[in-house]
Amino acid sequence: MTKTPLLEIEDLHAKVGDKEIIKGFNLTIYEGEIHAVMGPNGAGKSTLSNVICGKPGYEVTAGSIRFKGKNLLALAPEERAREGIFLCMQYPVEIPGVPTATFLKHAVNAQRKHQNLPELDTMAFVKLMREEAKKLGIDNEMLKRPVNVGFSGGEKKRFETLQMSILKPQLAILDEADSGLDIDALKVVADGVNALGDGKRSLLVITHYQRLLNYIVPDFVHVFADGHIVKSGDKNLALELEEKGYAEFVKEK
Amino acid sequence: MAGLLQNKPLLCDDIPWINALRQKGRMAFEAQGVPTAKTEYWQYTKPRDLNADDFVMQNSEDYEFLSVDEAHDCHCGKGEHECHCHHGEHECHCGNGEHECHCHASHEEGINLAERVLPFEAYYLYFANGMFIPMYPALPAGVEIKPLAEAIFDGEAKEYLGKLVDIEKHPFAALNTAYGEEGLFLRLQNGVKLDKPIVIWNHSEVEDENVFYNLRNLIVLEKGAKAEIFEYFDYKGKEKSRYFANCVNEVFLAAEASLHHYKLQDEAFKANHVALTVVRAKREAKYQNFCFQHGANIGRNEVVVQLAEEQAMADVSAAYKMAGWATLDFTTDIEHMAANTFSDQLVKGVIDGDARGVFQGKIKIHPDCVGSEGHQLHKAILLSDTAEADVKPELKIYADDVKCSHGAATGELDENQLFYMQSRGIDADEARRILVEAFLDDVLLKIENEDIRAYFKSKV
Repeated sequence: MTKTPLLEIEDLHAKVGDKEIIKGFNLTIYEGEIHAVMGPNGAGKSTLSNVICGKPGYEVTAGSIRFKGKNLLALAPEERAREGIFLCMQYPVEIPGVPTATFLKHAVNAQRKHQNLPELDTMAFVKLMREEAKKLGIDNEMLKRPVNVGFSGGEKKRFETLQMSILKPQLAILDEADSGLDIDALKVVADGVNALGDGKRSLLVITHYQRLLNYIVPDFVHVFADGHIVKSGDKNLALELEEKGYAEFVKEK
Repeated sequence: MAGLLQNKPLLCDDIPWINALRQKGRMAFEAQGVPTAKTEYWQYTKPRDLNADDFVMQNSEDYEFLSVDEAHDCHCGKGEHECHCHHGEHECHCGNGEHECHCHASHEEGINLAERVLPFEAYYLYFANGMFIPMYPALPAGVEIKPLAEAIFDGEAKEYLGKLVDIEKHPFAALNTAYGEEGLFLRLQNGVKLDKPIVIWNHSEVEDENVFYNLRNLIVLEKGAKAEIFEYFDYKGKEKSRYFANCVNEVFLAAEASLHHYKLQDEAFKANHVALTVVRAKREAKYQNFCFQHGANIGRNEVVVQLAEEQAMADVSAAYKMAGWATLDFTTDIEHMAANTFSDQLVKGVIDGDARGVFQGKIKIHPDCVGSEGHQLHKAILLSDTAEADVKPELKIYADDVKCSHGAATGELDENQLFYMQSRGIDADEARRILVEAFLDDVLLKIENEDIRAYFKSKV
């Protein structure tokens, strides 16, 4: 079996200010795989996703991240996104004054330009947006509002999911995608994510709770504590964590 | 080669009242000089370039109306003393139908006016380097527009010129008064409501000379009249050319009159532009100002509104956006001189490079002006470490039972918003542009006319 590695993280060290948060993190994700990284609060889960996506304010002091063989750390955040990485954020950002549809159109066309495809005109874009929104049960009214402004927690996550379904990333990173969601909203997100699956798209699910993993079933589960992976296993590891908690992994600290 | 005060021949200078007014202006400017950091309301904007001694002024051409005895064989049907279209044979835009024209027109100056229209329907009037180009749109009944010199000549300007401006406190307005010959006299009669905006297009085109010109507009709206006036300042020519445009508007709003006053300043980056607009609004009159500045080395726009009678209201808003070494200054002085008067100011600025944005906003509520409301908000975004915003709000409230507010905030673009957009593949520069546009969105909504709003938006 010759699978291509999509994401390779090797001995990653990263710090915020003077504080080292990621300490020797290793992870390889192949095409089509779903990985869950689970860990207690403060383990550095959000730092991990931010470093992969290139958010300013984090300094990588050692190690490497490669995406489709390319050195990801040399790329600007927007270039990483256009290469096919999508970060579904824990706290999607409100942007007053920018209409949701305008924002999405810019994103879609930035990606199409990168892929040497013609940019979509407003008509074609609106059609695409409405089709995808309908599948996720998103009201057109919501798309007329400014980005995330006045959205409930559930609406924000639905909008993240909508962006994901339109941009069709090769790697989607779900950062605490279930935080603040009721079970119905959770299902919408999970359905949206699962609908992406065509055997080639990969997922990195970063979560504290096992709950989301009932809907998005991982191939691998990793326990993340004190800046690195302390244990890996299959989906049963998540159930184990749910039962026993993270105490066993954090006690050494 | 000379400084700002020059001895050039002035139109109508043999008429005693205008001569006396010009002398007063001259003396008031001599007494004050070019402002320094110590001059009140000039502490942030330093017009050093205006101390130059190489200013070049043109002499105004004699208008035809100034020699009334001259034969007049235009057949536009307006009568000898009313027609002042100096049109060329094939260049008539006055809309009065075909007739013989005698113009020494604009195309001789190398400016193709036919192409000079903005993307909305309007009545267009043109100035080139501060000189009126005598072409008149076909105006509806009850609307009168003529060169200031003509209104001086026939005496109509006497009632208005210099009546609102305090030249003892505004050095450049004093200087403007010392010349007082170029500009427009614009009057709407009782109840006339203009169907289209009036565009006053002030075009500058300068080579190597440091051109200096003055413009003085008198805008008179009689009772219940309604108009939109769009002042457009643009520039074509060498990038590094210097010039100085010194503009004064005096605006008289009778009871229930309404004026939307727009200004777009899109000039050479070495240009110096100083403008003062003084408005007197009577009972229930409404003055709405929106100004967008983004060109010029120094661009100063000062708006003074006297809310002189009950229920008068003013909305004085502005946006500015600049980079390089520019200083853009928006200064307001709103005087609530009667009870139950209202004012609102929203000013937003985007500053990059080594540029400096200045906002000085004053609200004064005179004694006994109860029930009045004055609001003011300034917000600026700094896009570089060397950009600067200087903000001076000033509230002087001498009456009880009034509502006043002011606020000022200066910050940077939100990093999280920027990253959010980048993480969706949008270029950092494009994301910044979108955020800047969003930042200016609410101030643009102050513009009621949608075509004009769209035009400003395209300029932002």
